[in-house]
Amino acid sequence: MPRAATVLTALAAGALIVLVGLPVLFILLQAVFPEFARGSLAEPFSKIVILTENDRLMVQTRNTLLLAVSVMIGSLILGLPVGILRGLCNVPGARIWDVIFLVPFLIPPFIAAIAWMMLLQPRGYLQQLLGFHMGGFLFTFAGVAFVMTLNLFPLVYFAVSRAFEAVGGRFAAAARVHGAGPVRAFVLITLPLSIPAVAASLLIVFAMSIEEFGTPAALAARTGFEVLVTGIYTRLSDWPIDLSGAALGSIILMALVLAAFTLQNWIATRRSYISQTGKPADAEKAELGRWRWPVLVLFGLVAAIGVVIPLATIAVTSFMGTISGGLSLSNFDTRHYAPIFSTGSRAGQALMTSGWLAVLTAFATAAIGGVVAYIVVRGTGRGRAVMDGLSVLPNAIPAIVLAVGVILAWNSPFLPLTLYGTAAILLVAYIGILLPYPIRYAVARLRQISGSLDDAARVAGASQGATLRHITLPLMAPSLIAAMMLVFAIASRELVASIMLAPAGMRTVGTFVFAQFEQGSVQTGMAMSVIAIAITSSILLAVNLWLARQGGSAFSG
Amino acid sequence: MNRITELQPAAVDLGRVTKRFGAGAPAVDDVSLQIAPGELVTLLGPSGCGKTTTLRMIAGLEDPTEGRITIGEDEVTHLPAEKRDVTMVFQSYALFPHMNVRANVGYGLKVARTPRAELTDRVEEALALVGLEAFAERPVDALSGGQQQRVALARALVMKPRVILFDEPLSNLDAKLRHHVRAEIRALQKRLGLTAVYVTHDQEEALAISDRVVVMNSGRIEQQGTPRDLYARPVSHFVADFIGSANIVPGEYDGSDIVLGDARIPHTQEITQGPVGVMIRPEAVRPAAQGLAGKVVSISFLGPVNQVDFDTPAGRVTGNLPDDAMGGLRPGAKVALSFAPRGLHLLPPRAV
Repeated sequence: MPRAATVLTALAAGALIVLVGLPVLFILLQAVFPEFARGSLAEPFSKIVILTENDRLMVQTRNTLLLAVSVMIGSLILGLPVGILRGLCNVPGARIWDVIFLVPFLIPPFIAAIAWMMLLQPRGYLQQLLGFHMGGFLFTFAGVAFVMTLNLFPLVYFAVSRAFEAVGGRFAAAARVHGAGPVRAFVLITLPLSIPAVAASLLIVFAMSIEEFGTPAALAARTGFEVLVTGIYTRLSDWPIDLSGAALGSIILMALVLAAFTLQNWIATRRSYISQTGKPADAEKAELGRWRWPVLVLFGLVAAIGVVIPLATIAVTSFMGTISGGLSLSNFDTRHYAPIFSTGSRAGQALMTSGWLAVLTAFATAAIGGVVAYIVVRGTGRGRAVMDGLSVLPNAIPAIVLAVGVILAWNSPFLPLTLYGTAAILLVAYIGILLPYPIRYAVARLRQISGSLDDAARVAGASQGATLRHITLPLMAPSLIAAMMLVFAIASRELVASIMLAPAGMRTVGTFVFAQFEQGSVQTGMAMSVIAIAITSSILLAVNLWLARQGGSAFSG
Repeated sequence: MNRITELQPAAVDLGRVTKRFGAGAPAVDDVSLQIAPGELVTLLGPSGCGKTTTLRMIAGLEDPTEGRITIGEDEVTHLPAEKRDVTMVFQSYALFPHMNVRANVGYGLKVARTPRAELTDRVEEALALVGLEAFAERPVDALSGGQQQRVALARALVMKPRVILFDEPLSNLDAKLRHHVRAEIRALQKRLGLTAVYVTHDQEEALAISDRVVVMNSGRIEQQGTPRDLYARPVSHFVADFIGSANIVPGEYDGSDIVLGDARIPHTQEITQGPVGVMIRPEAVRPAAQGLAGKVVSISFLGPVNQVDFDTPAGRVTGNLPDDAMGGLRPGAKVALSFAPRGLHLLPPRAV
């Protein structure tokens, strides 16, 4: 391998190790050695004993699993019927429904949770409009599961509709030709062949609901219902600080996510019968006939609960003069938007902070991810093998776990100097959390670019560097830019790492909204949310349109 | 004037070249091969025989583990691809999708910082050679497979290569186009006097296009020679079987006659007496007054010929018989078979 490639490999591996490997290592060490943060290896394994006794960790683990399974079931109930109908039948406005069901991804979950509180709590909008409230439902386990389900069910909808579209079109036609009736074809062929894809999507729902911080944090305080993420957060924010407990909780969380991720990967690669390339023909879909209106009502109902109500609540709240003024036209006011656009205000600063952090994160993750992907796909020998292993690591690490690891690693007494307590620590955490996206996008793209293009450039006289500049980079650019936009959109509203790591006095969009809700103006928080959702939505829309014109869609996969 | 037609072809010399990828059997095993300036040599063999690896070592895309490669007077064994005067046409064409035809063809000259005027002239000349002058500004994905193939050829020619390499260049084209393009490549190679190394697994293509064919198997050279040579006088079962179709039946040779079942066929060949493998080309098989006893098993009509399977005491023999040589043969008919001498060749007995 030429020297430039060796140096690049070392740099990328170093970045992965520092950004992701070290935090995980420090979590493991802290869990084993309770005094590790003070630089001592005394009393190893003494804290792990707690796991078997009466520590809250076991309760939190049980709650986490219960919640994740409930959200899976909820997502199945909400996503499966509409997904099957969309996949097998000619639903009017199919593409519009697809766009509508993308919206929940654009609303940060904790903002949706706050919206549901504004709506359902005592003296909330529901009570003002219809005379009763549902606070008793929302502030329970079921309420948390309900709000999280609304955020995640589209994953099931898209997986189901795509699976049934592919399987129903081709294999079911073959089954029909061999004499199976429509019902038998569905039960014997379409259903079993679709199950792997649906199961894989449910596992993603599982992993994401385990990781989710904002919703339990917003609602759990009022329910007394603790999960691992909120437990870890409490251990690090409330006196007495319990580093070992946080580390143990992180390890359990990581193990659960890793298990879900591994199983999902295994199903998706080994058990999936759905070809990625085969484009199903719309012509073969069933007509709804007189079921047309009932089906549309079902789609409308799901869209109303999942999309329209939370969005409307966010927007309405942002325009209310005072909350106590209630839902009336005379209470309509735009003044809560004013501070966001005035420079120097806390809101304006938060927007700026999140803006530049997100931009830097996007560039840094794209650079590191691009190099990592290049080595994983095009590398040779030991460098490639090492990188292949390192590159999947970030996938299995929830944001809160990485934040805990960053706290432990960058506060370590072994360090001569630290970024902790500066804005740079947020950047370090954001990069670690969001690295999987550029890696995944760039690896997928590079696999499509034939290696013989590199060879062709080389025999035409281009050096390895020139080949990279002239051929590989320009061809990777669209997918890297798409990944950067996605990273920007997620980073600009990141909550959990920001809450745990932001230096005193520094606010990001996420922590600003959260703080406004805890103690401040809910309306200003919601106005900020409207702006944030509008910005990220328009960026993602613009990228998708641009990519569609380029002939590939990064977000459809 | 710096024209493509004035390129200087070079000889290529591979001296005991070996390439290993990790442990296990080497991909290319002790291969020695000399290619004269202006010669078209084909490396032929099944997939995994080492032909493409050999080609890539000549290109500089793989680094030989052992041995020596020279191009012209220069030793290039460990020289990277970009430092050799060698170009290559790839199986999937490997056209740069983000560049138009002109930029693709001119890429190598641009990297070499060729003056603009000369670059334009050379690109025009290369496009003219492959008949694509009118397509210079097209994006490459707007071209047909055959046209993309020509762009790839022009991109290779524009560099005035001392050696040009072809890696299964026709495998993505349909059968009709394949015949046409291979004739064009051969004509261009002869006209420009190119030294060319051509890799294919298609024996018909190899016979049609080459000055010399090198048959490879398991990383080694099994036999090399002119197409006629290889077809008429293969040295092994592998070559006999791989080039054209052949019946190979066990027999005995006593120095003057081949004993095949109860028939004796006069034959002269330098080969150890005793058990031999008798190669019989299907087109050499004819019904005759006397010869090897055969019984017709089946007849398939192929158009120009009938493919007739015979059961004989020596084993199953397939013949290709034109209609006028059929003499009313029917399945089940008993007939004596004779073999035209140029379709008859003795091989060492199959190793047990």
